[in-house]
Amino acid sequence: MRPGTPGLVCDHVSAGYRATPVLNGVSFSIGAPGVYVVLGPNGAGKTTLFRTLAGILAPTQGSVAIDGLPVRDQRTRDRIHFLSHLDGIPEGLRVDEAVGYYAAIERAHREDVDRVIGLLGLEELRHRFFSELSAGQKKRVSIARVFLRERDVYLLDEPTANLDPRVAAEIRELLLSLSRRRIVLYSSHNLFEAREIGSYVLALKAGQLSLFGRISDLRSATYSVGVRAARGEEHLPPERKRGEYYVFELNGPEDVAPLIQDLERRGVQVREVKEMGNPLEDLFT
Amino acid sequence: MERTETKDPSPGPELTSLTAVTVRRGLVAGRLYLAMGTAIVLILSLVLVHAKSGVFAVTFPLEVPLFATLGSMGGLMLFASDRSKGVLEYSIAYGVRPGWLFGNILVASIVLASVVLAAALAVGMGAFLATGGQITTDLENTLLLYTVPMTYAAVVFSTVTGMIWSSLSTPRMGLNSPAGIAPLLAVAPTILVLVVAEASPKSDYYYITGGAAAAFVVAALAMILLSTRWMDPERYLSPM
Repeated sequence: MRPGTPGLVCDHVSAGYRATPVLNGVSFSIGAPGVYVVLGPNGAGKTTLFRTLAGILAPTQGSVAIDGLPVRDQRTRDRIHFLSHLDGIPEGLRVDEAVGYYAAIERAHREDVDRVIGLLGLEELRHRFFSELSAGQKKRVSIARVFLRERDVYLLDEPTANLDPRVAAEIRELLLSLSRRRIVLYSSHNLFEAREIGSYVLALKAGQLSLFGRISDLRSATYSVGVRAARGEEHLPPERKRGEYYVFELNGPEDVAPLIQDLERRGVQVREVKEMGNPLEDLFT
Repeated sequence: MERTETKDPSPGPELTSLTAVTVRRGLVAGRLYLAMGTAIVLILSLVLVHAKSGVFAVTFPLEVPLFATLGSMGGLMLFASDRSKGVLEYSIAYGVRPGWLFGNILVASIVLASVVLAAALAVGMGAFLATGGQITTDLENTLLLYTVPMTYAAVVFSTVTGMIWSSLSTPRMGLNSPAGIAPLLAVAPTILVLVVAEASPKSDYYYITGGAAAAFVVAALAMILLSTRWMDPERYLSPM
């Protein structure tokens, strides 16, 4: 990976806060559009990674570039949208003023504000003070800014946290449609969401990149289920027993039903089937 | 240190300028301080007008900078709030210069202080004249060469010091917060200048007060330049 490589290049990046290092030698390169889900347990360095990619934090080592230009160059900043876990809405503003505030920073226009307020379903709230809104409504206002102007790279730190399922699904749809032509990095604790929209996964563990690959590959590689029998346990292979469960490695959830049919043909009455070692869940441990 | 190219936001013509928005937010966020600063300076002015002869002309010009600084605290409160809510973080991500953010808050503080200054001069001097007071050359010089410049010098100095203090520290409540410390910081230059000026020959009095006010403004602007040049961007991140 060289600095001149097209796309978003994170090259041996270490970063942190004053005396506290958080990221340690993180390297990856993203060229193709898509949703890249960033997973990892709390404290793994997801927020620090987003802040470093957005050019807010300077790496202590390594570099971040887009199409060969450093991320802290204004031309590169103009290609990035950043959404942190903080709402970032200035105190004392109404909803349309809050969106207008970022529109002014973005050099956008009044019609962009109106369009985004419509897009996020904020019409009824537009004259209410931001501080009076519920957590979910605040999140919608906070997300609105990333739709003011289309950019090449979207860095979204838990964009659907606090949203009700319907609104979360609508936001995911908007981001999915963006991701057909843009790079979207998306951190989430919601594994369902990661599976639903992610094309790729970047997993962080203790400040290091522990995995970078296609979510589909990850799923098919190690999907496994545990089976408990009500009767006919003697027909189950003893080498598969782990605690109370007999563990079977499958290609994916679609293989569960055929497995049960096969076991029942062999005289096993299945009491329980449980997902074991979901590879996405494993990334949180 | 790596140079960072940044921009100053300039919205489309139909959107309100961010500076105007910041000033309005400052008026709302700091309305309690503004009301306190204005009320105290007006009450004191009216008390001084009715005090024995000569007290008003000596005391009134000295009190105004202190209460104007108190009235300007809304600007500093905005800075602390914007930092903790992530507004500074977003602004920097979009390439806004930290110096522009500092300047915006400074404008809000100056506008707030101007409200107190204007009210104090209009009501205080109006009451003084209405009760038969005479504007002497000394009073005129003190107002023009101490009260007005020192008001803005104290506001600029306390706001800049407070913003840097806020950036370098984690949020604290009460007197130990930047908004709590700032009025005390504003007292220091005004008192110091008074002590030095009083101990000097009369002919040097206004050179000292006017020069000191200019020096405090220059010192504050130098602090902005140095801090925006050398302070780590992470200092603007929310500690939340």
